[in-house]
Amino acid sequence: MSSTLLDPAVAAELPDVLPARKQRGRVAMFAYRHPSIFAGGLLVSLVVASALFAPWLGTADPTALAPAKRLRSPSEIYWFGTDMLGRDIYSRVLYGTRVSLQVGVMVALFASVIGMFIGLTSGFIRVLDTVVMRVMDGLMSIPGILLAIALMALTRGSVGNVIIAITITEIPRVARLVRGVVLSLREQPYVEAAVAAGTRVPKIIWKHILPNTLAPITVQATFICASAMITEATLSFIGAGTPPTIPSWGNIMAEGRALWQVKPFIVLFPAIFLSITVLSINLLGDGLRDALDPRMAKKI
Amino acid sequence: MLQRRDFLKTSAAVTSALALPNIARAQASKLLRFVPQANLSSLDAVAGTQYVVRNAAFLVWDTLYGVDSALTPKPQMCEGHTVDAELKTWTFKLRAGLKFHDGEKVTTRDVVASLNRWMVRDTMGQIIKSRLDALEAIDDLTFRFRLNQPFSKMLFALGKNNAPVAFIMPERIAKTDPFKLISEYVGSGPMRFRQDLWVPGANAVFDRYADYSVRPEPGDWLSGGKRMHFDRIEWKIMPDAATAGAALQSGEVDWWENPIADLVPLLRKNKNIAVDIADPFGNIGSLRMNHLHPPFNDVRARKALLMALDQQDYMQAVVGDNPDLWKRLPSFFTPGTPVSTEEGADLLKGPRNYEAAKKLLSEAGLLGSKVTLVVATDIAITKAQGDVTADMLKRIGFEVDFVATDWGTLGARRAKKDPPSQGGWNIFHSWHAGADCVNPAPYTALDAGGDKAWFGWPKSDEVQQGILKWYAAPDLAAEKSAMAALNKASFDNVTYAPTGFFLLYQAWRNTLSGVVKAPFPVFWGVQKA
Amino acid sequence: MFAYIVRRVIATIPVVAIVALFIFSLLYFAPGDPAAIIAGDQATPADVERIRASLGLDRPFVVRFVEWSWQVMQGNLGVSIFTNLPVSKMIAQRIEPSLSLMLLTLTFAISVAVPLGVLAAWKHGTWIDRVVMMFAVFFFSVPVFVVGYLLAYTFALQLDWFPVQGYTPFSISDPLPWLRNLVLPAAALGGAFVALIARITRATMLEVLSQDYIRTARAKGVSQRPILFMHALKNAAVPIVTIIGIGFAGLIGGAVVTESVFAIPGVGRLVVDAILRRDYPIIQGVVLMLSFTYVLVNLCVDLLYTLFDPRIRY
Repeated sequence: MSSTLLDPAVAAELPDVLPARKQRGRVAMFAYRHPSIFAGGLLVSLVVASALFAPWLGTADPTALAPAKRLRSPSEIYWFGTDMLGRDIYSRVLYGTRVSLQVGVMVALFASVIGMFIGLTSGFIRVLDTVVMRVMDGLMSIPGILLAIALMALTRGSVGNVIIAITITEIPRVARLVRGVVLSLREQPYVEAAVAAGTRVPKIIWKHILPNTLAPITVQATFICASAMITEATLSFIGAGTPPTIPSWGNIMAEGRALWQVKPFIVLFPAIFLSITVLSINLLGDGLRDALDPRMAKKI
Repeated sequence: MLQRRDFLKTSAAVTSALALPNIARAQASKLLRFVPQANLSSLDAVAGTQYVVRNAAFLVWDTLYGVDSALTPKPQMCEGHTVDAELKTWTFKLRAGLKFHDGEKVTTRDVVASLNRWMVRDTMGQIIKSRLDALEAIDDLTFRFRLNQPFSKMLFALGKNNAPVAFIMPERIAKTDPFKLISEYVGSGPMRFRQDLWVPGANAVFDRYADYSVRPEPGDWLSGGKRMHFDRIEWKIMPDAATAGAALQSGEVDWWENPIADLVPLLRKNKNIAVDIADPFGNIGSLRMNHLHPPFNDVRARKALLMALDQQDYMQAVVGDNPDLWKRLPSFFTPGTPVSTEEGADLLKGPRNYEAAKKLLSEAGLLGSKVTLVVATDIAITKAQGDVTADMLKRIGFEVDFVATDWGTLGARRAKKDPPSQGGWNIFHSWHAGADCVNPAPYTALDAGGDKAWFGWPKSDEVQQGILKWYAAPDLAAEKSAMAALNKASFDNVTYAPTGFFLLYQAWRNTLSGVVKAPFPVFWGVQKA
Repeated sequence: MFAYIVRRVIATIPVVAIVALFIFSLLYFAPGDPAAIIAGDQATPADVERIRASLGLDRPFVVRFVEWSWQVMQGNLGVSIFTNLPVSKMIAQRIEPSLSLMLLTLTFAISVAVPLGVLAAWKHGTWIDRVVMMFAVFFFSVPVFVVGYLLAYTFALQLDWFPVQGYTPFSISDPLPWLRNLVLPAAALGGAFVALIARITRATMLEVLSQDYIRTARAKGVSQRPILFMHALKNAAVPIVTIIGIGFAGLIGGAVVTESVFAIPGVGRLVVDAILRRDYPIIQGVVLMLSFTYVLVNLCVDLLYTLFDPRIRY
């Protein structure tokens, strides 16, 4: 991985000097130009694949109890060992990928869509702006994890509710981002011209604003996805996340936390999976940002 | 490069200065650092029945009588008593010279007020109250119960170890509404509670009460001399079991009330740590069904559970692999006491039979019904039981709606009598301290009085008659036969399903001596080298 | 300037009011019941009902909210349902540990991250840059409790350099125990911030280094190090300060977990315990305080801008 990981700025200065590279095929070229996207994308695809094909990857029923076979160390039979109820950790971790990805992707999607809607509304309808932005400020000023814990206390534990809780905490960031873009675009001559020409607002949004917000939102969405997965794990770790019958990474770690000293593998395997997944999504986000908007890359 | 090297150098210097070996740790033998089973959020063991609250209250308050390790009540604050032949007039005399932590003398006015508050809340207290003509102070040190019916279990009621405990508080505090928590913690027990140093959720401090009047007898549980060898006891609340275990290993705490069983092998390896059973009376796991709503309003559905549930699965999930820590319990009562019984428990004995359970369910037309299983997942014991039950219910053809929640929410939800579809429930899990299950008196969960019974509202006249028979039993033989009949009636009714009997550990640093097994931590008599 | 500060402070009122209403209604509709917890496992249903009534928890939403707001406006946050202690006192006794942890975390994060970021920018495009950035993304991706357990296991249990858990109040005469207790939690919590701040520092430095005046300075033959540190770092200060402001909320979130792993009696643990037990007055009090602090911190951040960058005026 590290051999392909070149700084994008360096890569950008080089391509014309090395025409021979073109012969190596498109994949290598892409990997060379966008090493973060390539490495991140590859890892993400691996994780997605292991989630999709979990049933065919040598797993057992991740929820099947066998108290007689509890706390076995990793072996040929139990690749990652078993937990305190005798469940196979390898199977649980692999199926847990589904939960984490589901949470990450759904939160990113919902937060982006809702945040975009709020940001656009508030950017265009000035009457609402103050009120909406104060509400967003209020939401942002409550630490996300506390808000999520409180929301989880309100509802019963389920993956859907975890998604909703984390989404609510992520919306303000997207909303502010979009509003910022809208406000700066409104000043642009071509938008002002469109407004002056009496173009209707939906059309302005569709033609001028949306295309310009898509890039930053896509990048933001990958980071939200990554942070939502960490938040999910933390919520489950505290005991306010997905119900324990569902094998999510956070749940596996929460169940193993007390035995951290004696059976470290219970925490370590899901932790490694979580870290690699989040890492690869972050890499992908970094790469996308560099590729989509080199100017923004300098900002953060 | 210089910059970076400088930075590395300074940070290394800082690290090594901080990383002194732990020789400087306090060696004060007068300070005990104790990790309790749960957070201490109040000290009122009359208004509330949490075990952790009661354990702290034992330090601060004293009782008129106190049970010893055979659960025999012995005089504690009382010098003694006289009772008439009919067991109706009980006269008690306080020891002279007892003082509360605020310096005031303990008088019978305080006693009467305290007992009046306690009688409202306690099951045995309520029986006394229902038979009471008068509870009166005769002089500063003498008081009397005048009953209109005999009550043979008076001393046990005043000295029992399960909450609500008949603690003696100053009159002004005892006048608090029995359903409201007291907020002033003044008692006459061996330790004073330092309310000013209390950080709820983290730290509770008790200082030795110099004027405590120690009985001359050797201390034995709640009886005899409560000799305190510490000037200060600090309760350190640790929400993370791994952290508590690590703190005990590194000597940052002296005593851990309930180490989880799977950490015990690790603690045993450490030669500075001693591990032993905490409470010889152990605990009884409980699968509690709601008797008001289908499917478990039908006794056949409840019996099907008894046929299918494997106590071994439950117990291994709760306490782990060590077979010394649990046993099958074909009974509602704590095993190993003179009145233990296994009468009428046939359905729990023998190999588990899913087919028979399914057959019974299909006869009742309940195969495939939906069961709302509400589980407090923040408590290891209830969570482990819930996981096993979910698995078992599926095997006998129920559709399981697993509601994962925390103990606080469960506490609210299980009180709802509504159907499960409208916010009610079908099954929840808990456990009962074995010391509370030795006989029907402290055993709230056994009561089958319908609407007035504990959550689940079981109703069985046979069970209720059995309980009354036990209260009336004049001798051990009669008690035994009453208990046997009661156990059978409870199994016929399937009041709840016992999921097994289990023991929990306690662990302490070897610097401590005198730690005993009891249903609560006994601090008196413990010394630190 | 002064008018600006006043305006900003006044602007916090609606924010805090929204937070208050939001949290209050959230908790009102939450299904948990403190009465059941107080009563204990063995209490009868009727007893639980009586306790609930005595706590006033059976009254309607509007009555309770109005009453509570009225009290808050008079500076009274109420009394904990469980301990009967004033909420303000319970928060006050938790502030020192939390504040200590945050200050140390920030100090640690900044003192590690800024040099790393500068280094990466300076060695831009080399393997050093890549290693530093990989490290940054990595720390961003590991949950704080995993780092915490690893640190505790290695440095406290195996090496016995630091205590496993706990907190010692700060004292001027002997701050060492205080520091020893906080090193591991601060390092665990700081990891993600090191990552974040290092990235920001690097990015800003790169931008500044490409500015014309730096090029001019270079062309004039000013040696490299003075350029970097005189000009660039000063300009990089603004975004670094910004990220600290934004990161404050995240810091509190991470502190919740860190405090529970290292048994530090801080505000984070207080509020999580309170949420799990439905101790409404505490939850409301803490969240109010936190959101107010957040708003103030960001106000300070904005004011710091003017200090670092005189071009910004209000």
